[in-house]
Amino acid sequence: MTTPDLKTLETLTRDYATFQARKSGLATALGGLLAVVLVVAALSPNFMGIHVLNRLLVEFLVWVPLLWLVAKSIIGPLVYRGLGPVRALTDVAYERRRWRWILGLALFLLAVLLAALYAFASGRLVAHPPQAALQPTPMWILVMPFLYLLAMPWAIRGIEEARAYVVLVGQCMLWLIPFFIFSFGPPAPPLKQGWGLFGDVLGVGILVLIYVVLIWGALAMVRGWKEHREYLAILRRIPVEEG
Amino acid sequence: MVKTGSHPSAIPKAILDLDRIVHEPARLAVLTVLASAEEVAFLFLQRVTGLSKGNLSSHTQKLEAAGYLETVKAFQGRIPVTSFRITEEGRTALRLYHQQLRALLPKEGKP
Repeated sequence: MTTPDLKTLETLTRDYATFQARKSGLATALGGLLAVVLVVAALSPNFMGIHVLNRLLVEFLVWVPLLWLVAKSIIGPLVYRGLGPVRALTDVAYERRRWRWILGLALFLLAVLLAALYAFASGRLVAHPPQAALQPTPMWILVMPFLYLLAMPWAIRGIEEARAYVVLVGQCMLWLIPFFIFSFGPPAPPLKQGWGLFGDVLGVGILVLIYVVLIWGALAMVRGWKEHREYLAILRRIPVEEG
Repeated sequence: MVKTGSHPSAIPKAILDLDRIVHEPARLAVLTVLASAEEVAFLFLQRVTGLSKGNLSSHTQKLEAAGYLETVKAFQGRIPVTSFRITEEGRTALRLYHQQLRALLPKEGKP
């Protein structure tokens, strides 16, 4: 028997259990990567002369949060199968923070949906010119925000994951908004001129958002990869079976 | 000559008072691991303590008989998974054992 000392056993078990509870290393990195892809796709409608941002791609991008959830549920058991389930001691403060993120996302979705509905109904906001590739909306697109919400409390296990999900959903909501204009109300009126200060603030806000998402995406990739390496290090600390 | 501050017969009695179930090194390791998590799979417990399957089973049976742990049997898909959970008695016994051991050891700086 090659038993490490008791303090090491305690730390090792805690670290392993904590990671098992979250399993968010590669999932966080993937979330960051997808967030960057979403921004780049939005900024590059024409890549090397090819019209990248067509309707199919937009519809695909809108599915990204759910695809990420599926990928995450596959990555977890495959990569982090480890040595069987070890459930961590309940961390009340952590759980409370996690639920705050989930509640925050729910409120965010609600606010964006209501604002979008109001803005389009009042004709103050036009998402894209009528000649854009986005044409009549399939009805399922309206169900997407609810799908984002439904999957969440059961699929999100850690705060890092909740953040990744919030960013992905937030971006996809920006994609969903153009669909609303065709789903509710009359055809889009032309873009109103002379928005003044509101337009400037909106423009700056979107620019800041783009940079924030890009920076967050890059950081999430690094942080997720680091967490993945830490998990591998935990596995290396566990004694190798003899004989 | 060894000088002790307490009654000469107090130390052997304190040693004898140690919980024999917890005092055994393998069982102490098992309880330490279980106290650090809510529930621990057999495989992890085996690997982390370095015990053989048979040895670990025997120790967990003794701990279960003493009421210090409980066995949880579940399925992951079609694979049966055995896990263990420390009971409140087990946690108390481990805490008490640490206290007793600390009381027995000489204070730091005093031989």
